[in-house]
Amino acid sequence: MSTVIECRTLTKHFGATKALDGLDLEVGEGEIHGFLGPNGAGKTVTIRILLGLIRPDGGSAALFGADPWSDAVTLHRRLAYVPGDTNLWPNLTGGEIIDLLGHLRGGLDPARRTELIERFDLDPRKKARAYSKGNRQKVALVAALASDAPLLMLDEPTAGLDPLMEAVFQDTVLDTVAEGRTVLLSSHVLAEVERLCHRVTIIRKGRTVETGSLAEMRLVSRTTITAELAGDPAGLGGLPGVYDLRTDGHHVTFEADHEALSAVAARLGELGLRTLQSSPPTLEELFLRHYGDELEHGQVDHPAVVPRRNGAGS
Amino acid sequence: MSTTGSLRLMKLVLRRDRFRLPLWWAGLVGLMAVSAQSIHSLYGTDEAARTYVSTVGHNPALEMFAGPGYGFDRPTPGVVLVNETSLWLALATGLMSVFLVNRHTRAEEESERTDLIRSAVVGRHAPAVAALAVVGAANVAVAAGVALVTLPFGFPVAGTVALAASIGLTGMAFAAATAVAAQVVGTGRASAGLGSALLLLAFVVRGIGDVRLAALSWLTPFGWGIGVRAYAGERWWALGGLVLFTAAEVALALWLSSRRDLGRGLLPERPGPARADALTLHPLGLAWRLQRGWVAGWAVGVFLAGLVYGSVANDVEAMVADNPQLADYLEQVAGASLADAYLATAVRMLGLAVGGFAVASALRNRSEESVGHAEMLLAAPVSRWRWGSAHVVVTVAAAAVLVALAGLGTGLAYAQSSGDAGQVARLTLAGLASGPAVLVMAGIATAMFGWLPRATLGTWAAFALFAVVQLFATMLRLPHWLTLLSPFGHVPTVPAEPWRAVPLVVLAVLGAGLVGAGLAGFRGRDLAVA
Repeated sequence: MSTVIECRTLTKHFGATKALDGLDLEVGEGEIHGFLGPNGAGKTVTIRILLGLIRPDGGSAALFGADPWSDAVTLHRRLAYVPGDTNLWPNLTGGEIIDLLGHLRGGLDPARRTELIERFDLDPRKKARAYSKGNRQKVALVAALASDAPLLMLDEPTAGLDPLMEAVFQDTVLDTVAEGRTVLLSSHVLAEVERLCHRVTIIRKGRTVETGSLAEMRLVSRTTITAELAGDPAGLGGLPGVYDLRTDGHHVTFEADHEALSAVAARLGELGLRTLQSSPPTLEELFLRHYGDELEHGQVDHPAVVPRRNGAGS
Repeated sequence: MSTTGSLRLMKLVLRRDRFRLPLWWAGLVGLMAVSAQSIHSLYGTDEAARTYVSTVGHNPALEMFAGPGYGFDRPTPGVVLVNETSLWLALATGLMSVFLVNRHTRAEEESERTDLIRSAVVGRHAPAVAALAVVGAANVAVAAGVALVTLPFGFPVAGTVALAASIGLTGMAFAAATAVAAQVVGTGRASAGLGSALLLLAFVVRGIGDVRLAALSWLTPFGWGIGVRAYAGERWWALGGLVLFTAAEVALALWLSSRRDLGRGLLPERPGPARADALTLHPLGLAWRLQRGWVAGWAVGVFLAGLVYGSVANDVEAMVADNPQLADYLEQVAGASLADAYLATAVRMLGLAVGGFAVASALRNRSEESVGHAEMLLAAPVSRWRWGSAHVVVTVAAAAVLVALAGLGTGLAYAQSSGDAGQVARLTLAGLASGPAVLVMAGIATAMFGWLPRATLGTWAAFALFAVVQLFATMLRLPHWLTLLSPFGHVPTVPAEPWRAVPLVVLAVLGAGLVGAGLAGFRGRDLAVA
């Protein structure tokens, strides 16, 4: 698998503001790479550097092994971009804008264009100023997805889409990757990232804090276990790798390190298991862990997304 | 009427325009101060004023630009002051009002910020009321400033108050007209264009009225403003006419705003093509597509203005026949026939206006960049050079056509009235003489865009300076070097004086160099959004 995007210790300042502070990002060919971070973490700045729209102050960025600034035009033949805040020419219709962007990228497949416009339920005859935010986003999405560019750079592409369109988007992206394309997906919709992405990079304050596949990340994280026991749960808390033990009669809930799971399961067996449920950490839990201090300082009262558990078993 | 929150919105407007408003004020009041001082020193006595009237006289060419000459039967320094300054100052104050009102009504609405504002405890009419109130206050401040800088030079109080009030109220009339325009059309660009077009149309109609048919003048705010006859037996009721006109327009704007959806104009939105035509598929074609509407508007405008100016030129000749003494005087000054001197001035003034077009048009690069349109195209395989040059190519080509059209219109009308068909080609060429100076304006705008993208307003400051120098250098006896600072100061005054190739070539090279430098600067810098 060759590397499509490679950023090493990128830095970028805007006046006194430090937007990127040694950011690393690596995306391999054919993968859907989730690019996560709180607002203002530097996702858009990184993407704009990769597009050659702005120049980094330090570090290196490479796209298909080339310099995104000096080789911008050549590189752009091989990518399609959907900005986070899509601003369209108010007096052009959606159809005209799709054609314009498609033509500039070297033409788009008319059949695919028609199919995508239908799937996304877009009226291409409307002037851009009459579109809602979601519909503006669809114009940019159709233009990008209808191209045959080997790399898609999507900056929060589904902000403003309704759940139905969100599902259409996810299916379409999975189709494009089946064709061997690479996707960099910046998103706050964690369910979308969990469903689509092979690997994710979590950044914070301009710096990479975690990167890897979701499976790998789960391995280094704790699993939540809920059980009902026949015996007395006291003593569980003394096991190494067990945290946050809460008991309510015969019911216990606790978190366990991945390495401690075998020992914990054995001990639970000895105590007489009646029911058992183990939940691997969701992406949301992984993600929120990196804003831990913000949560503790009360800056975030509630997670912005609804938790979605998967991989539950008993 | 629902105006809850207007006061808070006024504070917001004042906060956003904390630099813009003082700059407009200082520019307008400063112009008046310099004019008052200069009129005072040149025509400070009734005798000097009589000399002024006997040379300028009831000259139709000058009436076109200066007004009907109220009080010329009993000339005083105040009468000269009104004749030299009041229309220009009213025009500039009108421009200020058009731009500011549009900025805080339709342009704001187009950006969808008004949605956010209106979702708060803010009445339907509050944004328009706040914008009009602040612009109204700005007009009052301009009027007060005009009066304050004029009085120390000994001009009578009553006349000064009348002059200042007529300027402020004329500005306000166009503020209200723009508020109406903002209801009709759906974009900020269109409503600013409509407001400015109304302003220029009113100026030209008043000009025709003053030369040919006085009743026409009274159809325009300019006619009512100058009709107050400052320093010439004030007719205060004319100000009442402006107040009524403004009130009616404000009422109309507020009434219309209750009859449309936020974000939409009154003109219906029609569906467009589902597929792009070949033109829209390239950056250059797109740039033309984005600019063609207002280029067409400008083309009609300069051509019509040319026709008007050209049609009056023959009256200048007729007047010379009646008053050979005057002919001697003016010929001495211009070194050419009176008609040619007049035509050269007219054509060059239109060239100056096209310079304003060139600045606005070349700065499209910056506005396309700051709203994020450039990002969409530059993320496609389009080089900085290709994208950046597209709008400049449109600017330069359109400006060349516009200066030619200005000359053509002037030439056609003059050829028709003088019976000399050769004037068509002669004056079209004279129009083209402004081309290189206009290119320099496009160059300054592009250089600012490339190197100082956040300070592109500075281009307008430079243009304003050049315009003042161009229009008032003789009257204000400005130092010669100031004239040379303006690219338009180097354009030969054809057809009144012979063609000189060197300044035109130098200007063209300078303009092209500035464009190139600007685009080079853009290639090397970060894209700057907002």
